[in-house]
Amino acid sequence: MDRSWYWKAGFIVAVALASVYALIPSVSYFKLPADQRNEAGVFDAARPKWAPPRHLNLGLDLQGGIHLVMGVEVDRAVREKAARRAEELGTELERKDVKGATVTGDVETGIVTVTAKDPAILAKARTQITDDYSDMYVRGQAGDSFTLSMKDDAVRQLKDSAVDQAIKAIRNRVDKWGVSEPTIARRGDANILVQLPGYSNPEKAKELLGRTAQLEFKIVSDDDSPVTALKDKLPPGIEMDFDRHEGEGGAVVRLAYLHAKDRAALTAFTTANPMPAGFEWGLSRQDDRIKNETTYRTYILDKNRSLTGEYINDARVVFDQRPGEGNRPEVQLNFNRQGADLFGKLTTDNTKRLMAIVLDDTVESAPIINEPITGGICSIHMGGLKPQNEILEEAKDLALVLKSGALPAPVRILEERSVGASLGPELIHRGAYSAILGLLAVLIFMAIYYRFSGVVADVALVLNGLVVLAVMAFLDSTLTLPGIAGFVLTLGMAVDANVLINERIREEMKTGRTIQAALQTGYDKVFWTIFDGHVTALVAGFVIRTYGSGPVKGFATTLIIGLLASMFTSIVVTRAILEWFVGHGRLHKAVSF
Amino acid sequence: MELKFVELIKPGTAHDFVKYRRIAVTISIVINVLILLGATVWPGLNYGIDFAGGTELEIRFKQAVDATALREEIARLGFGEPTVQQVDAAEKHDFLIRVERISLLTREKADAVKAAVQSSLASAQPTTFRFDPEVGDKLDFSFKQTVSEAELKAAAEKAGLTVKDVRTISARDGQDREYSLIAQGPGDKIGSTLREKFGGEDGVEVIRTEYVGPQVGQQLRKDGIAAIVYAMLMILLYVGLRFDFRFSPGVVIALVHDAIVTLGFFVVSRHEFNLTSVTVILTVVGYSVNDTIVIYDRIRENTQRFKGKGLKELVNLSINEMLGRTILTSGATALSLVGLLVFGVGTIWDFAAAMLVGIISGTYSTWYIASPMTIWLEEYWSHRKAVEAARPKTKGGGSKPSGEAAPAR
Repeated sequence: MDRSWYWKAGFIVAVALASVYALIPSVSYFKLPADQRNEAGVFDAARPKWAPPRHLNLGLDLQGGIHLVMGVEVDRAVREKAARRAEELGTELERKDVKGATVTGDVETGIVTVTAKDPAILAKARTQITDDYSDMYVRGQAGDSFTLSMKDDAVRQLKDSAVDQAIKAIRNRVDKWGVSEPTIARRGDANILVQLPGYSNPEKAKELLGRTAQLEFKIVSDDDSPVTALKDKLPPGIEMDFDRHEGEGGAVVRLAYLHAKDRAALTAFTTANPMPAGFEWGLSRQDDRIKNETTYRTYILDKNRSLTGEYINDARVVFDQRPGEGNRPEVQLNFNRQGADLFGKLTTDNTKRLMAIVLDDTVESAPIINEPITGGICSIHMGGLKPQNEILEEAKDLALVLKSGALPAPVRILEERSVGASLGPELIHRGAYSAILGLLAVLIFMAIYYRFSGVVADVALVLNGLVVLAVMAFLDSTLTLPGIAGFVLTLGMAVDANVLINERIREEMKTGRTIQAALQTGYDKVFWTIFDGHVTALVAGFVIRTYGSGPVKGFATTLIIGLLASMFTSIVVTRAILEWFVGHGRLHKAVSF
Repeated sequence: MELKFVELIKPGTAHDFVKYRRIAVTISIVINVLILLGATVWPGLNYGIDFAGGTELEIRFKQAVDATALREEIARLGFGEPTVQQVDAAEKHDFLIRVERISLLTREKADAVKAAVQSSLASAQPTTFRFDPEVGDKLDFSFKQTVSEAELKAAAEKAGLTVKDVRTISARDGQDREYSLIAQGPGDKIGSTLREKFGGEDGVEVIRTEYVGPQVGQQLRKDGIAAIVYAMLMILLYVGLRFDFRFSPGVVIALVHDAIVTLGFFVVSRHEFNLTSVTVILTVVGYSVNDTIVIYDRIRENTQRFKGKGLKELVNLSINEMLGRTILTSGATALSLVGLLVFGVGTIWDFAAAMLVGIISGTYSTWYIASPMTIWLEEYWSHRKAVEAARPKTKGGGSKPSGEAAPAR
């Protein structure tokens, strides 16, 4: 036995022990009754304190999980689309030289009104619009205006695509969150059914999935007259104050705003006093970390100078290194090329103004634009009086939802409940027993056919299974039927590898070599066979994992883990064991192969 | 102590695999085309809920019900492979049941109701009428004026519709009034059947019946197909680099063949094609690739060992040398499925059976599809080489003998 053999043997023993160590928590997890094991704290109490806190999960098909039904507010999507359409129509008419007509949209009803003093202009606008926009119809005309609505077909299409987009965004989020193999499907007209395996964190699931994540950048208006006009109307509890920042040419710009401790009172007041057309109120939460209190304040936002978050390429958490910020986490956004252009233009046109970053209708922050930002990068500061780790958690969640895209319409969680395994317990039991039966049959067959080296191969196969399960437990992955299929395939390939090795050694011995020489050349020659077979499958596995989603991905993950384990156990492990026996003169040609 | 080897295949076995390649490939092409036609034109795949969507029922039982019995009962009603999930706490006896799409209202029936509503509500003509067969049990009307729900219900019932509910969707001023008629559907039929089997008249309550969309929508399908196409390209590239580019097409054609034959199991058996079926096909493809690569590896090795021999001979020799291994491996893999085939039910049995079909196909395709492909490509290549060599001034110029599949290693 040379030195390298001991290194190898040591490594194999280490892998085996590490696998057992990684699987111990899973054993205590599965020992718990099925209806309790997923409740908070139960598993942590049951596992040995020295073992890792991760365990194998069973997927929806084998164990069940949480069941959410989310309602997409499609009507709101439709109305907002109509209101946006109003702006589009206005510029379109302008462009087509139909001047003097005003177009307004109503977000509440989705009705677009076109008004023009001159009947000729009105008629022109009407023909222009009905010609160009086949998805709208004229509801009626009275006096100097007519009203438009989306046609039924168009409405239905919009609703459908809103639901489809929401499904896509939700799937993205779930995939990025790392939950393997959820069920996501449309239910009824405007609902989405989501089932997630396990019950581990329903609150977080709801928070992540329900968030609209609509991000907008809006310029804060320089004209604060709508606020100062309210000066004498302010109810108690709402006060007026001024922002000061350096404007163009170094002059100080003073902007009035309202602030209050009671959010409801402030919103009630702003709703009662709407902004003039083209402007809107923005609301922001202010956390004073020293006084430890929260207030709310307003901004005047310019509706026409804005950019939406749809141009975001990537979002990630970074730490604010500036002095005084104490490494506070912030979310850095990277725009795509088009977004970078638009953002560059927005910041160039509005230098020395404030830009509000609006997330889900709340102003997150409103930094001053000191100079044009053309690099396509921008960051959102995380507010709040919470401890650092909670802020970090919030920042991570925000980055995740921003990256996976905004929902086209707000969603509400309509139902939340727990569900049992979709395959049914009887199927799982029978499946598990018959699978174990099949595996035992293979092990016995190998031992009978290859005798001693068959038993060695069996040891390798068992170790292979152990390693795969251990890695999956360590990665906190979820075992589902497709995953088990991938596992079966890798066991099949591990059997094949062992068959190849043993057949090869037999062949070599028939040419009259000694057992040592046969072992040596056999393993050397068969190495590339096994290598190419496994690597080809690995290549396919990696590609499928990268591009596929859902169950296909789960299959690929187990396949990759299994192939790597199979290469290790069949090439390294069996060889080390056989070499030990040969080295000690315990193997005889005929008995052992 | 002296024991004999256990050997399945005697050394020196020499079946002529290459000889039957034309017949084999012809038969395979015919079978593959038939399966593809069967999957797309007639009779088509029996798509499960995962792909086709279905109907979801929520049912509440008074007493405890065994999920297994419930599943079997619903399957007996003719709904293929239902999904039966217990929801919420076990004490509530609530179940979510997903079955294949049940066609609820027909278009004709919906039109009859529309006509009835138009004729009986003479004063208020509906401005729009909508029926979505995907939703199935809901008819939407809108009117210029307010209509009483009772009136609408009476009108629909005149057309023979059993109305479960009339809902006012919107009645805002200045807009059309919208109403939905909810029809009594087969959901209630399942309810009444279950009522007979499980616990009396008021023991079973159908809480709701709704259409569920496919889990695998257009996007996922596209993603999946793209992933598989990329994977094939990468296999082509890898085999080309490690072996020879003349070997690459054989691997891919063999794996496509095996995927199609496995699909054939679902076409012929009419068993449900669902997400599990997709993973079976992926598994078979993985198995097929490995099987082919092992034989290719032997061909590569023998090419170096026997320099003078033609490719046909080498292919035959290699397949025969590996015959023992191939039968052992396929046998062992098949053996591991026996338990599932004997004791498995439903999805799990389908899984095992389709896998068995795939393994047999994978073994066959290596012998009769992948290997002949290399021979044909080799013949085509040397033919082209000969033609090109003949074209320049020096006439004839010895075209090289076949068997030049030079390994990249």
